[in-house]
Amino acid sequence: MSTPVDVAAAPRVAATSLWGAAAWLKARSVYVAFALLVGFDMLATPGFQNPFAVRSLLFTAAPLILIALGQSLAIGTRGIDLSVGSVMGLASAMIGLSLGAGAAVALPLGVLTGLAAGALNGALVALLGIDPLISGLALLVAARGLAQAMLGGARVNLPPGVAYATLGRAVFAGLPLVAIGALAVAGLVGFAVARSVWGRRVVFVGASRTASFLAGVPVRRTLLLVYGASGLLAGLAGVMATARLGAADPNYIGAGAELDAIAAAVIGGTPLSGGRISILGSVFGVLLLTVLDASFIMNDVNGNYAQMLKAGFIIAALYLQRSGG
Amino acid sequence: MSLEARAVTKSFGAAMALRGVSLAVAAGEVHGLMGENGAGKSTLIKILTGFHQPSGGELLLDGQAVVFDSPRAAQRLGVAAVYQEINLIPERSVAANVFLGREPRQGLLIDRRRMEAETAAILARFGLPVSPRARLASLGLGLQQMVSIARTVSLGARVVILDEPSSALSGAEVEVLFGVVEALRRDGIGVVFVSHRLSECYRLCDRLTVLRDGRTVASATPAELPREALIAAMLGREGGLGSPPSAVAASGPAGAARLSVRGLHWRNRVRDVSLEVGSGEIVGLAGLLGAGRTETLKALFGAERPDSGTIRLDGRALTQPSPSRSLGLGLGFLSEDRRAEGIFPGLSVRENLTAAVLPRLARFGIVSRRRQDALVSRFVASLGIKTAGPGQAIGGLSGGNQQKVLLARCLSLEPRVVMLDDPTRGIDVGAKAEVHRAIRSLAEQGLGVLVTSSEIEELLALAGRLVVLSEGAVAGGMSTAGAEPETMLALLAAAPAAGVA
Repeated sequence: MSTPVDVAAAPRVAATSLWGAAAWLKARSVYVAFALLVGFDMLATPGFQNPFAVRSLLFTAAPLILIALGQSLAIGTRGIDLSVGSVMGLASAMIGLSLGAGAAVALPLGVLTGLAAGALNGALVALLGIDPLISGLALLVAARGLAQAMLGGARVNLPPGVAYATLGRAVFAGLPLVAIGALAVAGLVGFAVARSVWGRRVVFVGASRTASFLAGVPVRRTLLLVYGASGLLAGLAGVMATARLGAADPNYIGAGAELDAIAAAVIGGTPLSGGRISILGSVFGVLLLTVLDASFIMNDVNGNYAQMLKAGFIIAALYLQRSGG
Repeated sequence: MSLEARAVTKSFGAAMALRGVSLAVAAGEVHGLMGENGAGKSTLIKILTGFHQPSGGELLLDGQAVVFDSPRAAQRLGVAAVYQEINLIPERSVAANVFLGREPRQGLLIDRRRMEAETAAILARFGLPVSPRARLASLGLGLQQMVSIARTVSLGARVVILDEPSSALSGAEVEVLFGVVEALRRDGIGVVFVSHRLSECYRLCDRLTVLRDGRTVASATPAELPREALIAAMLGREGGLGSPPSAVAASGPAGAARLSVRGLHWRNRVRDVSLEVGSGEIVGLAGLLGAGRTETLKALFGAERPDSGTIRLDGRALTQPSPSRSLGLGLGFLSEDRRAEGIFPGLSVRENLTAAVLPRLARFGIVSRRRQDALVSRFVASLGIKTAGPGQAIGGLSGGNQQKVLLARCLSLEPRVVMLDDPTRGIDVGAKAEVHRAIRSLAEQGLGVLVTSSEIEELLALAGRLVVLSEGAVAGGMSTAGAEPETMLALLAAAPAAGVA
């Protein structure tokens, strides 16, 4: 339903009355909120108009976009993937551990670590039938612990190198390369959700597990692939975040990121009740949260209050989303 | 207590759901409320129970105008509904469900003993063979519904609206329901009885009110309103429902069996089922609720893993059945539970219809929208699905059209044999006739059809041959040629009653 394709087509439902206009706006609250926030920042936030500020924002957003994609898939099946933040950390630790072998080994290894963690999560959910909330929570703890053990809890700086520098700093046409990459992956995932057999099955499984099973949908395989993909994307996100930081850090990389990913997906119009995925919405959900974080920092809002304000903002956005359903 | 709706109208935005409905239920009266899907029955029920406020007209209770501004207000004044879907907690006991939200207490704790004793008294009043301590989910759907009715009455309802109470029931269970309704009548409780089954309404109701397009088009006693007139009023046209058994369905198995089942077992629910369905044959799987009809079909389809038995499809053994394997070999299945096991809520007609056949419409894993829509329009035409287009949400379709979409999903894989579990459950008369036509045309194309129904008349009209189940085993078979409902009732009655308690 709410694939990028359909979002473009949806305005055909004419907003004839005021009520209709309100409903139309509510259904797109993430885009409206994003536009309002950016408008506010452009006018009132010192330094926001600086292109470097935008660039920095996009560097931060890129890995979040990737894990929000995986999260959207998991939530679309009426599941959840709590492990993504820790898996980013695990991927980072794997890079730190394999630095000696060179970037050509370390970086792919980081991504593969994510895939392995995701496959494990998927196996627990799909094959053993463990609630994704539980398996994700277990992996959240275990992956973070393993990451810290691998590096002895310490940060390992990346050596100078073209690959790390490209991922961490390269800019193309004013945009960070990683952001372009993340958006390209989002386009790919969006297309897969809208048009591929697997993508539609992800939505079927979320809409009705029983109906899917009776319609011959391979429910387990679909779920396994969803959590595998989410792990793979988290691995990739961990690689990006590590390159940006210039160091492998098992404590810092991805800490708490799963919450941002969940919030972004849900604000963007992928309901926790499953059966509907909005990839475009998830991307804008991430952008919204990233800009929000930056707005607090650039306006010198005390960090503690910023957290509470952000929470209030998320709740308001979710409320609008819910009424707009 | 009497309840009356007088010239009630209701609009939702620009859409008029009710355009002037009047209905009067006297104390101790059983009042049949009938109409095709979309006639306004559900809206009227929601107004009578306070979920919606009427846009015009008024409600009267014992002649006094009243306003039900919430379901709670309606309940407090003694009007409540029992819905088709049971809104109780399956994992808790019968007693806990009957007293849900108003448990008798002893200090801080629930007085379980008193709760169970009072529940037992309530159950006895309705003649329900149920233990108060039984887990609700362990009962059949029918008994769960009776518990739901018992709960509603024990809450103090004086007018009870039964929304398609019999759609999940058959045989003896319907008799239990009728007994419960008689008990309500005896106690002077007014009953609004909503049903698609004409014979039940004629047997049970003191008065019938027919809605069409949001208006009351007829209200009379059954004697004043014969079947033909009632159906004409419902459909808004003169037209019979004559559906004589087709020629192909008249005889026994012709040629080799397409589906052959030997000694099927699944837990204690399916205990030795053997049957055959020939090419072009419609076989009815008959039996009381709890006899194992649904379970048999599900075990055959692989939705439940059978413990033993052999299944052959055109001579090919179906081992370790699973839905995807069965579908791949040409065995289709339509679940009786459209809402929970059929549709993908919130998704489009296109998605719902093509869910099973997607890989065949795809190249390199990418689904062709063009081929999807071609398939959809083919079935929209052949089954007469009324939809605004392939992109319309399935929820916007009437029950009958949703069912046709699911039938199309089942047929999209071009099966050899289809198993249809109560395919006309809860759909209106017009859609029913169309589903019947579609089933007959499947048989004419040489498919084997195994069908169940909770309506005896329907099975007799549709099937050429019946296989009668009792307590999970085949109790016998009969040809439907020249058979009367009474013949089958006799056969069912002769078989030991299914253990449902």
